[in-house]
Amino acid sequence: MFDIQFADDDIIAVEGRLDAAQALKAQTFLDQVEGRCVLDLSKLEYVSSAGLGVLLKTHKRLMGGGNGLKLINVNHHIHDIFGYSGFDKLFEIVPAGD
Amino acid sequence: MQRKFSRSFDELKHIVAMTVDFFEKQDLEPTLRNVVDLAIEELFVNMVTYNTETSDDILIQMSPHDHGIEVSLTDNDVERFDPRGAGPVDIDAPLDDRTPGGLGLYLVLKMVDSIHYEYRNRQSKITFIVDRK
Repeated sequence: MFDIQFADDDIIAVEGRLDAAQALKAQTFLDQVEGRCVLDLSKLEYVSSAGLGVLLKTHKRLMGGGNGLKLINVNHHIHDIFGYSGFDKLFEIVPAGD
Repeated sequence: MQRKFSRSFDELKHIVAMTVDFFEKQDLEPTLRNVVDLAIEELFVNMVTYNTETSDDILIQMSPHDHGIEVSLTDNDVERFDPRGAGPVDIDAPLDDRTPGGLGLYLVLKMVDSIHYEYRNRQSKITFIVDRK
């Protein structure tokens, strides 16, 4: 199961498993986003390299306009993946519980 | 436990269901599952994406290993590809130099406890172990 939708004006909620089968759905949604964007990952259970690619592509596009992605409520496992990938140096990340 | 899967990303949900079933039956530590799921997905997706010369199903086998799991993925009638030789990823590179892709096998090699490769008679078999840390 995977879902992505606006939860608030500036916050996008991402839920479930962002794997290779769901990457296109995520990319299609995020391609429509402009300006500063906050992704609430509190209900994201799993991300693979396909999902990381979606986040990176979107972040680079938005950074080109002087904005970017902020990732909030990141759980321990997802945070580990970001660390292994070097994404903790590229994104503004707020761990869950902060 | 073993099952064959067709060469489609849509099979990922069925592979996850197999892993959940195995973890429950073997009473394995649930926190290991995300690493196992990630390693299987990255290796499976790599086979589907690059081993395009075959239409055979991909065989996934799971067996207990100490307090963890041993997983094998077998692909038939394909060229040799040893994932242990995957190129490095510069995770310290600035954003401008980072591109989507290339992270999958890097993550597998970083996160599993061991990985083994066999190639015989055009059969490619990757085996990895994830155990309780």
